[in-house]
Amino acid sequence: MTTSDLVRRRVVSDHPLPWLMPLIAILVVFTIFPLVYNIWLSFHEFVPRRRALEWVGGRNWAQLWADTRFWQSLTVTFIYFGIALAVELVLGMAIALLLDADEPGFGFLRGILTMTLVIPPAIAGMMYLLMEDPQFGVISYVLKAIGLLSPATPILATTQYALAGVLLAEIWQWTPFMVLILLAGLRALPSEPYEAAMIDGASPWQTFWRLTMPMMSKVIAIAVLIRGIDLFRVFDYVFVMTSGGPGTATYTLSLYAWQQTFSFVKWGYGATLSLVMLLIVLIIANVFIKVAKVRW
Amino acid sequence: MSSVEYIGIGKSFGAVEVMRDISFKIEDHQFVVLLGPSGCGKTTLLRMTAGLETISAGDLMIGGEKVNGVHPRDRDIAMVFQNYALYPTMSVFDNIAFSLQVAKKPKAEIRKKVEWAAEILNLTDYLKRYPKELSGGQRQRVAMGRAMVRDTGVFLFDEPLSNLDAKLRAHMRIEIRQLHNRLKATTVYVTHDQIEAMTMADVIVLMHKGAIVQMGTPDEIYERPNSIYVAGFIGSPAMNFIEGTIDARGGAPSFEAPGVSIALPANSTARPGQPVTLGVRPNDLAIAEEGPIRGTVILSETTGQDVQLHVDVDGRDTIVVVPRAERQAPGKPLSLTVAPEAVHLFDRQSEARIA
Ligand SMILES: Nc1ncnc2c1ncn2[C@@H]1O[C@H](COP(=O)(O)OP(=O)(O)OP(=O)(O)O)[C@@H](O)[C@H]1O
Ligand SMILES: [Mg+2]
Repeated sequence: MTTSDLVRRRVVSDHPLPWLMPLIAILVVFTIFPLVYNIWLSFHEFVPRRRALEWVGGRNWAQLWADTRFWQSLTVTFIYFGIALAVELVLGMAIALLLDADEPGFGFLRGILTMTLVIPPAIAGMMYLLMEDPQFGVISYVLKAIGLLSPATPILATTQYALAGVLLAEIWQWTPFMVLILLAGLRALPSEPYEAAMIDGASPWQTFWRLTMPMMSKVIAIAVLIRGIDLFRVFDYVFVMTSGGPGTATYTLSLYAWQQTFSFVKWGYGATLSLVMLLIVLIIANVFIKVAKVRW
Repeated sequence: MSSVEYIGIGKSFGAVEVMRDISFKIEDHQFVVLLGPSGCGKTTLLRMTAGLETISAGDLMIGGEKVNGVHPRDRDIAMVFQNYALYPTMSVFDNIAFSLQVAKKPKAEIRKKVEWAAEILNLTDYLKRYPKELSGGQRQRVAMGRAMVRDTGVFLFDEPLSNLDAKLRAHMRIEIRQLHNRLKATTVYVTHDQIEAMTMADVIVLMHKGAIVQMGTPDEIYERPNSIYVAGFIGSPAMNFIEGTIDARGGAPSFEAPGVSIALPANSTARPGQPVTLGVRPNDLAIAEEGPIRGTVILSETTGQDVQLHVDVDGRDTIVVVPRAERQAPGKPLSLTVAPEAVHLFDRQSEARIA
């Protein structure tokens, strides 16, 4: 048996393992190992005095219950998640319905709509930081001009408004993403049922609720799932625009985990917080998949 | 009042003209059948009537009012689509009930009407199913049910029975006619099925390549087709055509072709020497001792009740329908006879009927 025979035999292998090896290797190095390491880390803590990790047992996990900072950041995360998802979905659907037309020019409109997605979120955050600046910001200026904001109120430094200020950037940047997915769904809907509905005398409103929404339910579910998972780990906007402030008004869970890990060198507790986030996302996503009957 | 009138209707898809100068009027309560080969524009005409397709030329009047620009919702019509167009996310019940639900009819009334329609359509056991869980014929019946529960002035049916078996089709034919007798709605009914056309229509409109070729009662169209095209289209098996000339030498006019010599009615307006095509329906031919048409049997097909004989008359395949008892063996020479009034004459150039 020559070497070339050996090579050929390997290349035509019927066994799945050789073909899966590259993927498995990538998965192990970049996903499984970090996850396992993170879990291991959550049972340790870095002790600066000795410059080493020390076994602390379940202390990090037990500490969560009494940590008001954690509960506050979790609340902020849920509020951010809920409002952003709801607004992006409703607004995204409305815009998608408007853009679902074959008239000339609509293709162009659909194209330019996706432009916000090209901008890195951190940059978008800085743009909005500037636009919401109490002195130079165009948004502040307009809001004051129409009387919605009293003069000299800094949006991002006022407890009541800061989260809304951050959400503005979030919604501006990611609504087009919703539009994109929903529009793809709308464009793929059959036209015949709509013709039948016209003949049956249904109004546009009735047609939307009785035909479009049921036919779009799977697409909506997928859009909510993708966007929802992404929203839960929001970091860029709050980090750039408010750093979680004022007070804890915009202090999200991911920001807390980041700060524990990198500012306070609490590697163990930071790992615990990020695992909690992962668990919450896993649970919510799976419950949603069950309830919404999403099929993969 | 729901008469439907087409005045010079034309339709183009982009640069392609598929229909031109369609003009006819459907009286209130009339049952009109649109007949024609595939692709002749039947569906397009129905869709324009419903408002689903724009009208490129001419005027459409419903109940005496021009409705060219009126939204389908406001035209007071019900329609059965050729491709069913069911609501995929609704149960059979909701599919049928949808028009009543959006009109906010009382629940009890809706239930009664849907169950009545389901009963007629043999769909009672399927009301909870979804369209994708139904067979083609069942889907078609749901589409039918959706129109049946409507109470509109105009009904449009686009081949509503094409996917049903023969028995169900016969049953539905009667139901539709009865429904029409009861509701008295103006009806336009598209079909490929000649039996449907003949049995159901008050008036048949025969279309070809986007134009009307003849319009009349079923009897008129069957007995006096105005062109070779209509004569060949209506009737099954199709009419036999023989090309020949008119001869008037013996005083009375007669039709002459190789192997054929048929005396014509004395009042025929055919000119001597005129090149003509003679048409005679397979049912109007009979085997006779000394008939004017002579040929040889090629093939004998039994179609249940009758036998279709294919007879070679000077190289042309001529079909004769005879009772089972008169079945003939292939190769047998034979002569055929035809009553003078059962003969149709057409000018060979213009293909139009000669009185
Ligand atoms: N949307 C369209 N764009 C271009 N051409 C079309 C369109 N719809 C129909 N046509 C053409 O118009 C003609 C008439 O079509 P139509 O569907 O009315 O035929 P039909 O008589 O209903 O045929 P069938 O008996 O097969 O249903 C056909 O030649 C078809 O190719
Ligand atoms: Mg058709």
